Amino acid sequence: MPSNSMFVYNLTLAMQSFRRAPTLYFLIILTLSIGVGVLCANLALVNSMASDPIPEKSANLFHINMNTWPDDQPPDEPMHILRYRDAMAIAESKLTKGSAIFYASGVYARDAESSSMKRFDSEVRATTPGFFELTNAPFAFGSAFEKSRGMEIVIGDELNKKIFAGKNSVGKTLELDGELLTIVGVLKPWVLRPLFYHPTEGRAFNLTDDIFAPLETAIDLGWSIHARSSSAVNYTGIEETRDKDVYYLQAWVELADMNQKSALQSYLDNYSQQLKDAGEHPLAIKNELHNVNEWLKVNKVVDQKVLAFTLASVLFLSVCIFNASSLLLPRFHAAKFEVGLRRAIGASNRHMLVQGLTESVLLGLFTGVVALVLSWLFLKLSVQFLPRLTNLAVLEPKLLVLGMLLALVTSIASSLYPLYRANYYTISAELK
Amino acid sequence: MNIKALLKSLLLRKFTTGLLILQLSITLGLLINSVILALDTNNKLAQETGLDIENTLIISLRPTSGEYRNLDYYRSIVSEDLHQLSKLSGVEGVSLMNQLPINKNGMLGNFYDLDDPEIIRKDKYLRDVKFFISNENLGNTLALALLEGRFLTKDDQLDFGRNEPGNVVITNSLKKALYGDDSALGQETNNGRIVGVVKDIMLDPTIPVDKQYGVFDNRAMEFIFTGRFYLLRVTPGQVEAVRNKVSDTILAVQAERDIYRIITIAEHMKRFYSHDKGLAQLFLLLCGLMIFVTAISSYAYSQFHISRQKKYIGIRRALGARKKDILLYVLTENWLVYSIGCTLGLVMALGFNILLSQYISLSKPDIMLFILASVVIFVAGTIATLIPAIKTSNIPPVIATRTV
Amino acid sequence: MLNMNNISRIYQSDTIQTHALRDFSLKVNEGEFVAVTGPSGSGKSTFLNVAGLLDNFDRGQYELDGVSVQGLKDDELSRLRNEKIGFIFQNYNLIPDYSIFDNVDMPLRYRGFSASERKRRVEQALEKVGLASRLKYLPSQLSGGQQQRVAIARALAGEPKILLADEPTGNLDSLMARQVMEILHDLNKDGATIIMVTHDPDQAREVNRNVQVIDGQLADFKIYAPLDRTAENKGKTVSAAVSADVAEEMADA
Repeated sequence: MPSNSMFVYNLTLAMQSFRRAPTLYFLIILTLSIGVGVLCANLALVNSMASDPIPEKSANLFHINMNTWPDDQPPDEPMHILRYRDAMAIAESKLTKGSAIFYASGVYARDAESSSMKRFDSEVRATTPGFFELTNAPFAFGSAFEKSRGMEIVIGDELNKKIFAGKNSVGKTLELDGELLTIVGVLKPWVLRPLFYHPTEGRAFNLTDDIFAPLETAIDLGWSIHARSSSAVNYTGIEETRDKDVYYLQAWVELADMNQKSALQSYLDNYSQQLKDAGEHPLAIKNELHNVNEWLKVNKVVDQKVLAFTLASVLFLSVCIFNASSLLLPRFHAAKFEVGLRRAIGASNRHMLVQGLTESVLLGLFTGVVALVLSWLFLKLSVQFLPRLTNLAVLEPKLLVLGMLLALVTSIASSLYPLYRANYYTISAELK
Repeated sequence: MNIKALLKSLLLRKFTTGLLILQLSITLGLLINSVILALDTNNKLAQETGLDIENTLIISLRPTSGEYRNLDYYRSIVSEDLHQLSKLSGVEGVSLMNQLPINKNGMLGNFYDLDDPEIIRKDKYLRDVKFFISNENLGNTLALALLEGRFLTKDDQLDFGRNEPGNVVITNSLKKALYGDDSALGQETNNGRIVGVVKDIMLDPTIPVDKQYGVFDNRAMEFIFTGRFYLLRVTPGQVEAVRNKVSDTILAVQAERDIYRIITIAEHMKRFYSHDKGLAQLFLLLCGLMIFVTAISSYAYSQFHISRQKKYIGIRRALGARKKDILLYVLTENWLVYSIGCTLGLVMALGFNILLSQYISLSKPDIMLFILASVVIFVAGTIATLIPAIKTSNIPPVIATRTV
Repeated sequence: MLNMNNISRIYQSDTIQTHALRDFSLKVNEGEFVAVTGPSGSGKSTFLNVAGLLDNFDRGQYELDGVSVQGLKDDELSRLRNEKIGFIFQNYNLIPDYSIFDNVDMPLRYRGFSASERKRRVEQALEKVGLASRLKYLPSQLSGGQQQRVAIARALAGEPKILLADEPTGNLDSLMARQVMEILHDLNKDGATIIMVTHDPDQAREVNRNVQVIDGQLADFKIYAPLDRTAENKGKTVSAAVSADVAEEMADA
């Protein structure tokens, strides 16, 4: 099998080449892998920020903005938060495959049956039960609560680990803010990057919530709003807000197809028109539906600063490639005598090229391995500088592959000109 | 020094020289912009806030138990908290508020004089005035400087449940926006009567300096559930001592609280800019790496070309060049490349600045910075190539006669 | 002019000690044209290197134009080389990237002359060797003989006291060799002191003094009949000797 042994021969030659100038190749591998590693780490961050967290459904889930502010000085046009009556109009439309109306809150949770007074700060999503189906929330134990009222809750895996050591806690009671609520469902570990259902107010990279509670219950218990809210009137507690112009609820719907989408759009526009006719909708009618990826884009979830830094790391990689090229040039230049000799004894141009390429591919492999390690290190380092990115600093498998590819490509790219120069000289000139 | 001849010999090795020049220019371009980023961040942190940032402590806390739903209970605990805190040695003033200065967004609302409600159409910032729900001690605790009238007193605290606005104190820029140079005292607004005007403090660094609109009232006790922050004014030098005692003092009053942060206003400001600062540091780190890589390149470039010129160096020596003439020759060759690289680097710096400005806010580069950055490049490059240069100057003249 | 006394140059490798020059003594007076011959490896090149201050010596004394060389530092040696010696190499040793002008100009740069002074000297030197019209040419555009003449011009430009030539015609065909030797003879006629290492016995025959180097030592004897030598230009520097006989050269010499 001549091609196989040729390949092995080339590999051997490459290894010999490395051994003959170890410092040089060390430097080349070092600088190339730093360049690739840094870029890879940044791409990992951008990937986390730009990925579709729910690809199986992202085109069918829509967030709703409306423009029903009661006077002509709205905080935004349209607004991404709705008042109770508007949100309920959406939920009751029956034109959707499913809907979720929610707001974000927070309570301190305690195991009601425990003697310890230890309380855990918990993120709460007060929501209608359609939320779980809509977001494909994965259940480990139990199931969702069925109504928007009642003292039943679903908790997340993190909180379950903290309070109940990860065991099946369905049926157990938590004391939340002085009230007792029963756990009917526990979620599996649920990572959403980004947190598509609530990317506003800088929450795009938060973890999924700890406690999911029925919407009406939360309102009645007066659990305060922890995210954006705007109000046209004064009010003291959230219990009062059902019939007031207090905007704080968000609405998501699942639509089966474009027909449902246009049906819902008409319905919303109709609803707004009715308000207008009653003199209650001074602003223009602007009901907007954004699917998951559109909504993430509108909210500029990809951190601009990280993008800027990614740009800089592309420049850095190019400097590293130029550097490797200028380090390889004298190396191939020094090897010219050997090249001339080999050519004189019958190696063709193609042979020499393949030999050179084998060397650069091998170099690329070594670089790739080091680059991935550096990439992981650099991710950890970035989080020190930019703690906001903690939940994003993960190296998914596709990035490992990308890193390897980058290393190979850059290694070959750096070798191109030196290889060309090395093989360019005539045989006799080198053997003299 | 035959500069023309040097330039000609550079032209003969276009590829390697071109690569090095590219690297130098990219490095310079990035270096300048990274320094701009760092300087910008430092400038932001050095802004005048109107507050005693080193000696004012902020305590962020929330009650954890449902007992606090009983507002009277809540009030009694808070009163005791504030009383106990004021007794700590080193504490000169105690207050509480619903939100902090030096923050984006927060609790905002419309504010206008009742005689001119339309003004909020003309100035959009009047729709986002910061409402500070506090008590009569805030003026003392934050050392707010009075420009007109008085700060709030205990009497300004209305009976709970009365749904009418009471007396308020406003910031100077708000007064100017509503009343120009006239006095604001006694004016009736949609949120109360103005009894005092204080010098501006930094409420939101991301909006213009003359739009720091803020209004202070004495309703913290009434809306006790908004009082998430305690403020302590501390004698200089005692901040650490006080900071260590705060948690125990509060928890001793009632343990079911989550005290999740005790920081000075200075630290709060640093937190506000931590993302900016982190980015600037990352950029500088990248610069350091780039300079390292470019220095290696410069070394390799120098080494490669010198090794091919051994014979000619020998000839120069044979013709009478001294060691330092050769050293100068080698260094000048490098400096020439650096000069071209830095000149191109200026173009790169401007280009990167425009490119990066699409994503982040960045000042424009200035000449001083360019000169300083070029000096850094020259120094780094010279250090990198010093050893090969010295080795070259040691080439003996007898090499000129060798034919091998 | 040149006075070497018991010079020894020893090369030390790990195991072997080679005496390239061994108790070598030679006196050369002003205006002499000395041919140095000897078998390969005899040390004649080493002698020229030492004489030209290109190489150090380990024992002995060397006095050049009244200056005692041993113990001088590298800077001072370089200055001496620059001011007093003109070296002509066998393979011309011109800088290939530099024009003729820049090549001849090079040693003058280390003298600190002004630009106008350098220009004057370069043009004058190139005139003397008949290449003044080829100022901008590159060495690769000239024949071997022309290149060597440029090298001679380079050696002359600084008005040295002594010319050292290492097989100056070794790489030239007979016609070009003839031309180069004529230039050297003319320079000598005008008072230049020249020491030339050569393999060619005919060349050696033509000069007024011959020495032989064998095994690193000097054998100083006249085996050939001397040529006439004029004594009028004694004491002048080499380039002051005008050579009007060098014709503007032919197209393809």
